[in-house]
Amino acid sequence: MSVEEQVIENARQGKLLTHKCADCRYLHLSTAYYCRQCGSEDFEDVLVDGKGTVATYTIITVAPAGFEKYTPYAFVIMKLDGVDLRISGFMEGIATPDDLPVGTPAKITGFDERGILIQRQ
Amino acid sequence: MEGVCVLGAGSTKYGKLADSIADITTQASVAAIKNAGIEPKEVGASYISNVFGVADKQVHIGPVLMSRLGIPDKPSLTIESACGSGSVSFREAYANIAAGFYDCLIATGVEKVTHTGTEWTTTYFAYCSDFFYEGQSGASFPGLFASMARAYLTEFGATEEDFAKVAVKNHDNGALNPKAHMQKRITVDDVMNSAVVASPLKLYDCCPFSDGASSVVLCSEKFAKEHGGDYVKVIGSGRGGSPAALQGRDHMTTIPSTKIASEAAYKMAGVTAKDIDFAEVHDCFTIAEVVDTEDLGFFDKGQGIQAVREERTRLNSDISINPSGGLKSKGHPIGATGIGQVVEMYDQLTGNAGRRSVKDAKLGMTHNFGATGASCAVHIFESA
Repeated sequence: MSVEEQVIENARQGKLLTHKCADCRYLHLSTAYYCRQCGSEDFEDVLVDGKGTVATYTIITVAPAGFEKYTPYAFVIMKLDGVDLRISGFMEGIATPDDLPVGTPAKITGFDERGILIQRQ
Repeated sequence: MEGVCVLGAGSTKYGKLADSIADITTQASVAAIKNAGIEPKEVGASYISNVFGVADKQVHIGPVLMSRLGIPDKPSLTIESACGSGSVSFREAYANIAAGFYDCLIATGVEKVTHTGTEWTTTYFAYCSDFFYEGQSGASFPGLFASMARAYLTEFGATEEDFAKVAVKNHDNGALNPKAHMQKRITVDDVMNSAVVASPLKLYDCCPFSDGASSVVLCSEKFAKEHGGDYVKVIGSGRGGSPAALQGRDHMTTIPSTKIASEAAYKMAGVTAKDIDFAEVHDCFTIAEVVDTEDLGFFDKGQGIQAVREERTRLNSDISINPSGGLKSKGHPIGATGIGQVVEMYDQLTGNAGRRSVKDAKLGMTHNFGATGASCAVHIFESA
């Protein structure tokens, strides 16, 4: 399974696979092949719960091809609980900023043609 | 290392153009060659910046340009670095002169996309993101910068009206630029009442999709002096990178590549942010100009928006930011933009910027990045 397929499989279970550097402990998303901090390619696979809070987001009304039928929707960058990592994804059903204050608890709920899916907890 | 100069500059108008990508590439290049007062046969090679040539059925555009210039035997190279392609192409041309490989080169940037329509451009531009994490989840470029804007609003107490003032200022400058895509003044209300593209950014927070081509002639200082025409010196050059996806950055309101590139350029030029008289910065969206002016060191983090409120970035105020009108008003033909900024340096520093002239300008800066600043190049120019 490729690294991207692994991300997708885990997202379907509401999880996120991460790479913890075996040498300096710096934590990356699992698409990292080398450590950003020390250059090591020795990683431990660490599966984390796909839960966190909304770090920032936008509500898209002019969409790229394939996404017109979903507008308005949010593209969300979520800070994961308990680790220094963020993950972005698609959130449906968001029409106004009142629907999604920064800091709202959220979680990964799957993966489909809209990429990684995130919903409010 | 050889001293490097810009000896001539030319641009098509930016906007919706009817002529083909090959035509506008050639028009801008011929304008630069004539402006420099040289013959095409003196050009050793060309560096072309272009992203979506495929949209106008022409990739590998370099040999087409060289053939039309009557120098088909001279080499060319096409460079893609998303919206930052032009400055990277300029840097490669600069480095080749500095290294002594050539005495004289042209760097030409071009883009031709408006005929494809908003959906095509929105979709294809999104391919410049880290697609697996961003474009695949429906992120558009306005959406990615809107995510930065939302973070800035939350972190620094700015308002959407504050961002609108950046657009108003750049349209005021663009109204003085006969080559600008949008030569009309707008008001804060116009921005606030324009359609939402990606909240909190509205249509007038966004630069337009533009067609256009820009070209400059670069040469060694020796060539420039022997030649005798107007020239400006390139005294600083820096490049930098950032994590490709926004999620990989520690802060959502700063662009690391801008800091890295500008620090390198300042160091090489032996100057600081305080010495810069005017700058063409990458204002693809209003939020971007605010972040840029902080990351380039003109204002402290979080203070860029206060500088906008106090009108300190207007033409001939504390520091003239985007006297050309910037991407926002002059337009953003993405492969041409970085070269177009150098054209503005040449026009300003040789006293040919007309009604938008920066008074007593001696030092200018260009800042141009790709995507959300995943790549960036900064150059510093001095009047000769």
